[in-house]
Amino acid sequence: MSNSSSVVKQNFIHRLARDYSPLVLIMVAVFIAIFVIGAATAPNFLTVLNIKTILRDAAIVGIMAIGLTFVTLSGNFFLLSMKETAALSIIAFATSMSAGYGFELSFLFTMVIAMAAGAIQGLLIGLGGNPIVVTLGAAGLFFGISSWWSDNLVVSFRRPHGAEWLGSGSFLGLPNITIAFIIIAIFAEFVLRRTSFGRQVYLVGSNRAAGRATGHENLSMAIKVCIIASVCSAFVAIAFSAQVSSAHVNYFSSSFGSSGDMTIMVIATVMVGGNSIMGGYGSSLRSSIGAVFISTVDNMMVLHGYNSGPRVLAVGLMIVFSIMVFALVQRGSRSVE
Amino acid sequence: MQPILKLSNIKRNYGAIKALRGANFEIMPGEVMGLVGENGAGKSTMVKIISGFDSGFEGEYLLNGEQLHFSSPIQAERSGIAVAQQELSLIKTMCVAENIFLAGDSVPTFATKKTLAKNAKPYLEEVGLGHVDPLTSTDRLSIGEQHLIEVARLLAHDPQILILDEPTAALGETDSIRILNMVNRLSERGKSIIYVSHRLDEIFKISDRIIVLRDGESQEPRQASELDVNSLVELMLGRELKNMYPKRIKKEISKPIMEVKNLWPDRLLEGVNFNIYAGEILGLAGQLGSGTGDILAAIAGSTRTRGGELIYKGKTFLPKSPKEAIDSGIAYCSDDRKHDGLFLGRPISENLSSAALKSISKNGIRLPKLENEMVTENAIKFTIDPSRIPQEAGVLSGGNQQKVALAKWLAIHPDVILVNEPTRGVDVGARAEIYQKLRELADDGAAIVVASTDIQEITNLPDRVITIYRGIQIGEIGLEDMSAATILEEITNPFNEKGLQGDEDL
Repeated sequence: MSNSSSVVKQNFIHRLARDYSPLVLIMVAVFIAIFVIGAATAPNFLTVLNIKTILRDAAIVGIMAIGLTFVTLSGNFFLLSMKETAALSIIAFATSMSAGYGFELSFLFTMVIAMAAGAIQGLLIGLGGNPIVVTLGAAGLFFGISSWWSDNLVVSFRRPHGAEWLGSGSFLGLPNITIAFIIIAIFAEFVLRRTSFGRQVYLVGSNRAAGRATGHENLSMAIKVCIIASVCSAFVAIAFSAQVSSAHVNYFSSSFGSSGDMTIMVIATVMVGGNSIMGGYGSSLRSSIGAVFISTVDNMMVLHGYNSGPRVLAVGLMIVFSIMVFALVQRGSRSVE
Repeated sequence: MQPILKLSNIKRNYGAIKALRGANFEIMPGEVMGLVGENGAGKSTMVKIISGFDSGFEGEYLLNGEQLHFSSPIQAERSGIAVAQQELSLIKTMCVAENIFLAGDSVPTFATKKTLAKNAKPYLEEVGLGHVDPLTSTDRLSIGEQHLIEVARLLAHDPQILILDEPTAALGETDSIRILNMVNRLSERGKSIIYVSHRLDEIFKISDRIIVLRDGESQEPRQASELDVNSLVELMLGRELKNMYPKRIKKEISKPIMEVKNLWPDRLLEGVNFNIYAGEILGLAGQLGSGTGDILAAIAGSTRTRGGELIYKGKTFLPKSPKEAIDSGIAYCSDDRKHDGLFLGRPISENLSSAALKSISKNGIRLPKLENEMVTENAIKFTIDPSRIPQEAGVLSGGNQQKVALAKWLAIHPDVILVNEPTRGVDVGARAEIYQKLRELADDGAAIVVASTDIQEITNLPDRVITIYRGIQIGEIGLEDMSAATILEEITNPFNEKGLQGDEDL
C-alpha cells in the first residue's frame, strides 16, 4: 500500500519535472512557501469568521471578474468601465429605491440600464471600435451621468427596504452574496463548457477571422459579452447598496475595499487566474479562483498589519507573477510537428 | 572537397514526438542542396537546428570542420548561416534600404537614408532587384519582390550558407522564376544554399543534390540528375504514389446548382458570369493576384462586392456575411488557413464542429456525445487520426491542418464547396488525399469550385476550368481541351501582348 503510493508520488514528481520547466517549478514553490509561512504566522487566519470574510471580499470582486472573463475570453480585451457601470447601477438602484418603487422594480430598472450600457459598448466594439478607447469613453460617460443624476450626493433609502436579504442576509452561515458568487461561478462555468454560446466565446476569442468564416460574428458576440459583464457589475452594485442602504458614485472608486481601484482589481483577478489576454484560453473558474486567491493574500497582509501601499504592491506582484508563470507553461506545452 | 556543413546522427524529440531520429545532412561550398520530405518528416526541425533556432538536439554539428552547438539564431548568423523564413519579417512601412539594414550592423550608427540607399544598392542588384529604388516603401512591392528583399537583407550579413524555406510557396510564376534565378546567381558566387520546397519541379530545376527526409530519418544525398519526379516522390513517401490526381470522366451536364450573375468582387475589373454544377469540380485558373480567390470569397459572403447575384436553390441573392452563406449550404476555405481557416489554439474536435454548433446542441446546450460522434466520423473521412482529436490544431503539420480546415465543412453537409488554393504548403502525400476527397465529395453530389495558381493542380484536378487574367474573365476550357499549355496561355497572355516578358529565361 505504502509502496504503491510512493510510486504514484514519484510519477507525479517525474511528470512535473517533465512537463514544466525548472524555472516555473521554482517560482511556484517559492510562492507556495511564502503563502504557507504567511498563513501560518498570521494571527487568527484560520478562523471561521476570517474565512467568511475572505470569501465575502472575494465575492464582490469575483462576480464582476466572472462577467469580465466572458469579454476577455471572447478576444474583446477588457472593459475599463466596470467601476463606472457599477456606479451608474448603484445610483439607479438607490434612486429608484428611495422613490419607493420597491426592491423588485428597482432591481429590474437597474438591470435594464446596465444591459443598455453593456449593449452600447458591445455594439461599438463589435463594429470595430478599440475596446480600450470605447470603454474608456463609456467610463467617462457613465460616471458623468451618475454623478449628475445624484448631484454627487449620497442617495440613501430607509430600512426596511426589502433588500436586506441580499445585502446582509445569510444562508447556512454563509453571507448571501457569497452564495450568489458560488452560484454565479458554477453557472458561468456551465455556460462556457457546455453551451454552444460558451463554445462560440472560445472560438471567436481564439481566432476572430476564423470565427467569422464559420458563421460566428464578433458583433453579436461583443454585444452579448459586454451585457454579461455589465449585468454582473450591476448585480454587485445592487448587493452593495442593499447592504449599506445608500449609494454614491465614488463607492467603487479608489476608497473602495482594500486594494485600490475596482476596475483594476477586477482586471487583476481575471489575469491572476491565468486567462489569456488575447482570448480563447481560460475559464470563469480561473477568475473565481483568482478572486479567492487575491482576497486571501490581501487578508493575510491585513492580519500582519500592512497598510494599503504594500497590499496594492502585492496585487501588482501577483499579476506579474501569474503572467510569467502562465506564459512559461504555455510556451513549454507547445510542440509543433 | 570537404563539406562546409555536416550534421550527423541528429536526434530531436518534442515530448513524445520524435521529430528527428538520427538524421544526417551535408552541404558543399557553392552547392544548392534541395531538402524535401512530407510535412512532419522533420524538414522544419532540421532547418531550425541548422539555423540555431533549436538547440535541444543530440548529434554532431560540424561547420567548416569545427564542432559547434548554437544556442541562439544570432550565434548561427554570426557564423555565417542565414535563414529566410516562410513568413516575411520585413517592416512594411519602412523603405527598402532601411529594411535591408534592419539589424544595424555593417552600416554607420548614424546614417542618412541616402547612405543606406547607396549601401543597399549592391545587395539589391545581387537578388535581381537592381531596378528597385532603395527608398521605395516596402509595402509597394509585390510579395515576390518582398521575398527577394528579405534575402537581400540576409546577404548584407555576408552568409556562407543561406537557407530558403519554401521561398516560393506564396508566389506566382514570374516571382518564383526571379527567386530561382537569384539562387543560381548566388551559388555561382560560391554561396551554399539549402533549398526547402514542396514544389518538386523547382527542386529539380535548381538543386545540385537532394536530401530526402522521411519520418525523421534521412536518405543518402543524391544527385538531382539521377532522379526524376516519380522516383523522388517514392523516396519521400517510402512507397509508390500511383495517381496523384483522381480519374476524370466526362460528365453529363444537367441543370446548374448555382448561377453566378455579374458577380463583381472589389478587386476584379468587371463582373463574372458562370454556372456551377453538382457533381463537378470547377477550376478557376489565374495567376497570383488575378482575383480568382476573390470570386470565391464573394460567393461565400466574406468579401465586399460591387454587385452581382447568385441564383441558387430557387433564390436570387448574394450572401452579405459568411453566416448567410453557411446557412444556405455554401462552404468556403480561404487560401490562408492560419488566418481564417482554423482555430489553432483550440482542439481539433472544436475546429471540426465549429461551423455546425447548432446541429450538435439542443436548446443551446451542447451534446458532447453527439459532437464526439460527428467529429470522429468527419476526421476519419478526411484521414485525420481520430486519436489526435483532443490535440490543439496548431501542433499539426501543414497537410494535416489543411485537412482539418476542409473537414470542418463536412459538418454542415454543404451543397457548394469553394476552396482557394486547396494544397498550399501541403506535402505530396496529403495532397493526393485531399484531391481524392474532393473528388469523392463531388461524386456524392456536391458542387466543388477550386481556385489555384498551381498550374499542375489546375490542369489535372478539375472537370472544367474558367480562366481569369488580371481581373478579367477570359474563357472556359472543357475536359477535352485541358492542358497546361492552353490554360497558361489564357492566364498569362490572353491578348498576345508583346513585351513585359522580363527574365523568363529559365
